Amino acid sequence: MTKKVQRVFKLTGVLLTVLLIVGWVTIEVIESAAQPLTPSELIAKGRELFFKETFNGNGRTCGTCHPAANNFTIDPAFIATLPPTDPLFVAEFNPALKENFEQPELMRKFGLILENLDGFDDLKNRFVMRGVPHTLGLRISVASAQGPRTGWSGDGAPGDGTLRSFATGAVIQHFTKTLNRVPGVDFRLPTEAELDALEAFQLSLGRQQELSLPLKLKGLVAKRGQEIFLDNALGKCNLCHGNAGANATFAPGLGNLSFNTGVENLPDQPAKLTGKLVPPDDGFGIPGDGTFNTPPLVESADTGPFFHNNSIETIEGAVAFYNGDAFNNSPAGRVLAGTDPRGVGIKLDATQVVAVAAFLRAINALENIRQSQALLEDSAKLKRRQARELIALAAEEIQDSIRVLEGGGLHPEAIAALKEAQRLAQEAKGSLFSRQRLTREAIEALKRARNQLVEAS
Amino acid sequence: MRKICSFAMGVVLALLGSVVYAHAQKATEQFIPIAESPGVSNKLTVIGEIDQYDAEAKTVTIATPAGKQTFNLTEKTKIYLDRTKLRLRNLEGKFGDLRKGRRAEVKFKDQEGKTNTDWVKIEMTEPGPGNN
Repeated sequence: MTKKVQRVFKLTGVLLTVLLIVGWVTIEVIESAAQPLTPSELIAKGRELFFKETFNGNGRTCGTCHPAANNFTIDPAFIATLPPTDPLFVAEFNPALKENFEQPELMRKFGLILENLDGFDDLKNRFVMRGVPHTLGLRISVASAQGPRTGWSGDGAPGDGTLRSFATGAVIQHFTKTLNRVPGVDFRLPTEAELDALEAFQLSLGRQQELSLPLKLKGLVAKRGQEIFLDNALGKCNLCHGNAGANATFAPGLGNLSFNTGVENLPDQPAKLTGKLVPPDDGFGIPGDGTFNTPPLVESADTGPFFHNNSIETIEGAVAFYNGDAFNNSPAGRVLAGTDPRGVGIKLDATQVVAVAAFLRAINALENIRQSQALLEDSAKLKRRQARELIALAAEEIQDSIRVLEGGGLHPEAIAALKEAQRLAQEAKGSLFSRQRLTREAIEALKRARNQLVEAS
Repeated sequence: MRKICSFAMGVVLALLGSVVYAHAQKATEQFIPIAESPGVSNKLTVIGEIDQYDAEAKTVTIATPAGKQTFNLTEKTKIYLDRTKLRLRNLEGKFGDLRKGRRAEVKFKDQEGKTNTDWVKIEMTEPGPGNN
């Protein structure tokens, strides 16, 4: 065999090997692309997109305004902890977005975000300032008999108006590099597969089912608050917030309803006190009909400020709103008064307001405990780095429950158990060898806290 | 109890009367290119070339490989000028922009299958006066 023939054989061998490898890799890629993701893979992909994908825009992600560490919403206290370079503040350092993209003062003081819901033709004057709704419990709070209700006014998503389409509108409104908002230049739009993953992730957050009220609460004030909440002749809360969720109960199958409750007519709204331009928010549609959809209440006590314009800071204030003229003179208030033998919409005394708020604080703390327990249990199945992330989130939830109960002067024994759970969770997060044991002990402390709030069912 | 029931009926009727299956956000739709509206394009829309705009009858006829379809236009129908391929800002247009030969997408149906020409997107291939 000549050297030339040997070389040809060698070359052919190398070529065949390369072709085999390329072919194998191609088949692998095609197969993996053809394989549909499992539900948990889809959620994991959605989580990755939600917190990391900027869609080639100004640096914001979905998690910029919906951070996991702050119950998927933002408020002035959380905003104050962010560095000045955080993409939330892009209007403060990107010259192309300096005007008519956000109102930085209103964002920092009141957690308000600018939205051009009535169109983009007059950016200087035509906008609304809204708080950031959390994304917990979406699986059970978005559907209505008339279609999905996303965002504060129910029309937050373009396309078919579903939660799946929401990200497309959010990218256009909030992620753009310039006010021209040209797809492919200022951002890229999410793909169909990305919309699927983002929807799956959002639907996985928080509660997956409604509470079943009444709960056997142990606290006297919270227990009385629950009675008032469920009393259709007194608190009347459960008519629109069935089981303290977002769905109406006065007829079957209504789901989430929209109402004009007069929030826009509140006097002395904090944002307006600044003297900045805060145009009226007309709610659903263009022009708006003044209605906003119903938020779930289970998660409310640790996700304030309250209402679409963050006009009320405390949960007690939010309950008291329904006593005031703004509500009772509103279309929703008048309908409610029309059904009352005394012609009253809602009228509660101060002790009753506090009782309803105490009930909302108690069920919020119970939800915090449920979530933190689930996170700790999941962390036990994971490797160290991922486990630490879940434990950190669990610690945040526990901290929320402490804050919510302390804010209402409720359940000091439960708070003591929660503080113990938090200490154990923090230790578990940093522990090299005792993570599993400390996690189990934290879960036991959470169970003790829960038993202080509600009787075992 | 009767009062609560009448409350329920009142609210339900008021809501059903005032909101007719229109939950999609209109404002950002303007910036979504033809054929990319999520959950809508090619499901509740028709994409083709404008064959005719009848200003008197207020209709637009779209030619597609499957044939021609005519859609009623109302005062609520939005016209969007899709200038994405020109790398320019999309604009709101007017019925006069419905010119023969232009590629267009018509959103004509809602989720419940009711016909209602919600919007028409027209693909712009050159900047044109006042369009850049």
